[in-house]
Amino acid sequence: MSLLSIRGLRKAYGSAPVLREASLELRSGEIHALMGENGAGKSTLIRILAGVTPADAQEVLLDGTPVPLDTPADAQRAGLRFVHQELNIVPTLSVAENVMLGRSSPRRFGALIDWKRLEEQAAEALRRFGAAHIDPRIQAGRLPTGDRMLIRLAALLVAADSPPRFYVLDEPTAALTQREAERLFAILKDLCDRGAGVLYVSHRLDEVMALADRVTVLRDGRTVLAAPMPQVARADIIRAMTGREIPQDEVGRPPSTGTRTVLRLAGATTDRLSDLTLTLQAGEVLGVVGLEGAGQSDLLHLLLGEGRLLHGEAILLGRCLPRTPSEAWARGIAYVPRDRRQQGLMPGRSIVANMVLPHLARLSLAGLSRPRLEMRRTSAMREALRLRCASLSQPVRALSGGNQQKVVLGRAIMAQPRLLLLDEPTRGVDVGAREDIYAAIRSLTRNGAAALLASSDLSEVLSLSDRILVLRGGRQTALVSATGLQRADLLSLIFGEDPEPAAA
Amino acid sequence: MTSHRWTGWTLAAALAAGASAATAQERVTVITPYLAQPGTQFYLDGFRAEAEARGWQVNVVDTAGDIAAVVSRLEDAATQGVDAIVINVDPAQVEAGLIEAQAAGIPVIGMDAGAHPLLATNVTSNGYAMAAETAAYVVNRLNGSGRVVMFVFDPFPPVQQRGVIADAIFANHPDIEVIDRVTPDVQDGGIADSRARMEAILAANPEPGSIDAVWAAWDQPALGALQAIEDAGRADEGIVITGIDANPQAREAIAAGGPFEASVAQDFEGIGRAVADATARLLAGEDLREKVIFVPARLVTQANAAE
Amino acid sequence: MTASLRRYATLLGFAAILVGFSVALPGTFPTARNLLNITQQVSMLAVVAFAMTAVMAMGDFDLSVGAMASLAGVVAASLFAAGWSIPAGIAAALAVGLAGGVVNGVLVAYLGILPFVATLGTLTIFSGSSFLVSGGRTIFGGAIPAGFGAFARGGVEIVGLRIPNLTLVALAVLLVLWVLLEHTSYGRRLYAIGGNAEAARLAGIRVRPLRASAFAITGLGAAMAGLMYASRVASANPTQGDGLMLDAIAAVFLGMTMSEESEPRIFGTLVGVLILATLNNGLTQLAVDSYVRQILVGAIILAAVASSRLGLSRG
Repeated sequence: MSLLSIRGLRKAYGSAPVLREASLELRSGEIHALMGENGAGKSTLIRILAGVTPADAQEVLLDGTPVPLDTPADAQRAGLRFVHQELNIVPTLSVAENVMLGRSSPRRFGALIDWKRLEEQAAEALRRFGAAHIDPRIQAGRLPTGDRMLIRLAALLVAADSPPRFYVLDEPTAALTQREAERLFAILKDLCDRGAGVLYVSHRLDEVMALADRVTVLRDGRTVLAAPMPQVARADIIRAMTGREIPQDEVGRPPSTGTRTVLRLAGATTDRLSDLTLTLQAGEVLGVVGLEGAGQSDLLHLLLGEGRLLHGEAILLGRCLPRTPSEAWARGIAYVPRDRRQQGLMPGRSIVANMVLPHLARLSLAGLSRPRLEMRRTSAMREALRLRCASLSQPVRALSGGNQQKVVLGRAIMAQPRLLLLDEPTRGVDVGAREDIYAAIRSLTRNGAAALLASSDLSEVLSLSDRILVLRGGRQTALVSATGLQRADLLSLIFGEDPEPAAA
Repeated sequence: MTSHRWTGWTLAAALAAGASAATAQERVTVITPYLAQPGTQFYLDGFRAEAEARGWQVNVVDTAGDIAAVVSRLEDAATQGVDAIVINVDPAQVEAGLIEAQAAGIPVIGMDAGAHPLLATNVTSNGYAMAAETAAYVVNRLNGSGRVVMFVFDPFPPVQQRGVIADAIFANHPDIEVIDRVTPDVQDGGIADSRARMEAILAANPEPGSIDAVWAAWDQPALGALQAIEDAGRADEGIVITGIDANPQAREAIAAGGPFEASVAQDFEGIGRAVADATARLLAGEDLREKVIFVPARLVTQANAAE
Repeated sequence: MTASLRRYATLLGFAAILVGFSVALPGTFPTARNLLNITQQVSMLAVVAFAMTAVMAMGDFDLSVGAMASLAGVVAASLFAAGWSIPAGIAAALAVGLAGGVVNGVLVAYLGILPFVATLGTLTIFSGSSFLVSGGRTIFGGAIPAGFGAFARGGVEIVGLRIPNLTLVALAVLLVLWVLLEHTSYGRRLYAIGGNAEAARLAGIRVRPLRASAFAITGLGAAMAGLMYASRVASANPTQGDGLMLDAIAAVFLGMTMSEESEPRIFGTLVGVLILATLNNGLTQLAVDSYVRQILVGAIILAAVASSRLGLSRG
């Protein structure tokens, strides 16, 4: 039984305090959720735990004995292991090599790597994990995200000479499908039963409430709530995180009243999608769900001008599909990509530069840019989305995840698009920022825009959508009204069991 | 912060290096884009020896092949107000700098540079004569009939004129056929690329006796050709190789008695000394009548290569 | 605080260099004539470096600029020798630069060849073409019209100072590229590509034509520098511009140390080229050995870039 206790944690960057008076108690055998809005100090706290960032002041006790926590080696010694949002696996190596990366490989004749034994050891480690479905011989880069996370965890387990005391997982389920997440939870519980402790950082309230034994909430760098999970209610956590009440109208937006057709697909087929038939009216939100990689992103890409129609018919805003993203944007189609770091943001450039990027032509005069007009427009979006930043000229890299996502969304809605393509718009975004984003999407569709919402967060899809398109392997398996639809119904549609008949 | 400290050190070093300049000697700046060439070093050895004896302060500036930088450095030297400037670059290309020097009243002496009205004088070997020596040697050895590969380098005028003379002498013998006229890449001095080019020519002419001679406008291509011929196992075919300049490596090859038979020794140090001599005369106020001062050169064969 | 120090360290270093040389060489360094000389000496490098900034803004670079400068000079000189007029020869050489730049752009943007590989290839092609066009010879003397060589020696009297023509050309290029890169949507898009090309594409930026056009600008700038070079040496030689490429990249890197996010900005590049030229001028005047000079210049570039990196990892 171990107890890692951190008290009086303070950290400031320059004159800006990030952690003011944070504390955390991590016990073995428990899953401990760490929550807080973006910018509350979670990431900094984790970097300090990892010994990557030095704290200004802190007191660290391991089973009552003071220990240093200033370098990654200290963290290692304290028994802490980390699985970050950006999974550091080596995509070009095999699963087995990734699992065994932290250990010296078994040798044959002292020099040659004994591949067979390496694979056996890796397979054994994966089996211990309940991840026997992963073939240790294939390239790690070809695995789905969830499996990559599992091999990363397996690597942590085998790398240690003694098993780690504490695992720290930062937003592990952000990129996982429901089934992958369930598998991960089972493994985490199993690790706890074997005596490890888990610090679990997530924005998904439902998930956390179901999984965690204990919760710590940070707000503005302070620990504002620390309690066993059974003693707190959902509303308590939200209040602790945001410092305000959030209306609990989970489900229910007025059904849209639009009549103008924005999109009509009839038997639309590409190399990834087959036989999609649907119409989308102005003012309507169509949720797009399915297992990971079922074609949600491919549908959005097709409408953005990134795919070719092989068969069938597609009419988008009265014309055929755009051929390039640039044509799509010019026709009033806006896009929020799935991966904001890779596909959305220019991390080193300012908020303004990121926000106005697709609208440069509209915001310029005879080719000359108009910085003040750009600043005004960006400023308006900052108000509308409640974007939190020191200045609109600061690089977006310095923003928290939720605020970065607001920049990407602001870019999409700045010019009043007629069709909004949203791919996982709230991935890695905290509750408060989430509500702001939902409000912006609702306001836009109220004014006549249509939206396609691809998301793996089912509560989000249920609460925002008018109708829901379910995809499986690129095929349309259902198109149902969201009104009155239960989460369980939707899950069974996604997993392919026969649903109760639901009218479209 | 850090960069200040670095800049500070750098300046300190620069100032320390400059401090030694602050005496009242006569100051002569030598500007060359070709310092890495062995010939240039010999000029400078001869020049420095004389300059030291006369108590001058000599500053050698190398622009590493950049001609416009020679113009810039000429301007800098004129601004600095040195007493004389020596260049070994085609003066026609650095005219803008020569005008600056003239405006500042500073004489510019060519060291194997080429003639130009703005030069006080140019000291050089007689390139025509040197090329005539080796080209005539080749004709002589082939008894006026055979197939010849030429290595030339026309971008540099003193070497270009050698090629012209060799062209003329070979053309004067109807039974001499020039089968290739190669301009090697001289970035690395010319041996490696010349060797590669010669290997290709050997491959294209596989019959023994299909190549009778290699005439090179300077020694490096001759050495490259020699390596290629020896490597191809064709050293006993009687291919005659000649170079010009007779650098130490060439002398060694000639002394060994292989295909590399002849070169011409320019008296580089003599040129350097003659430049110093001309400079001294100019500093003494004399007006030089000769616009070109020739320093004699000598044919080097196995008989005298070891000297 | 640290950030602004990092930003201005290079500029302060430049000021320190100017002050240092002025103290060491009070009679000859800080004179209007010498300073104007420096601007003239650096004008060709400046034009290449400004043009290079356009491709480096996209995170690309162009190794072929030096070879293109040589080629443009040789093309113009050969055409002069063939009896073309000065404007016609210049126009043809600039057209060659533009065409070469477009080739680079198509290779990189449309065929997806890495800039390093693509421009290394065209470097070799341009260089070979220079030798082919010139027959390997230096074209000089009577072949070059007097007016062409006279341009580089000429200047314009402005308030009692004779500003060299080459300096004025470099200033004009600076002005044009400054407006283009910093004040038009065109330039903003180039920087967006440098910021994240995939994100820019998905945000509707037409990455390919933009990328190709920036390479065309760089090719045009390289050709212009080649003409300036040929005018300055009143001759054209198939290798004369080759050295510009490394110096231009070095100048842009020096300039990038002055930008908060390490982006190549045109005024940063200007400071970069001025640092290089001032060091060459001052150290020559101090009679510092040319090899020592070379080592110092390299060390200063590394020191500036290293200090900006150090600042980054601390901040």
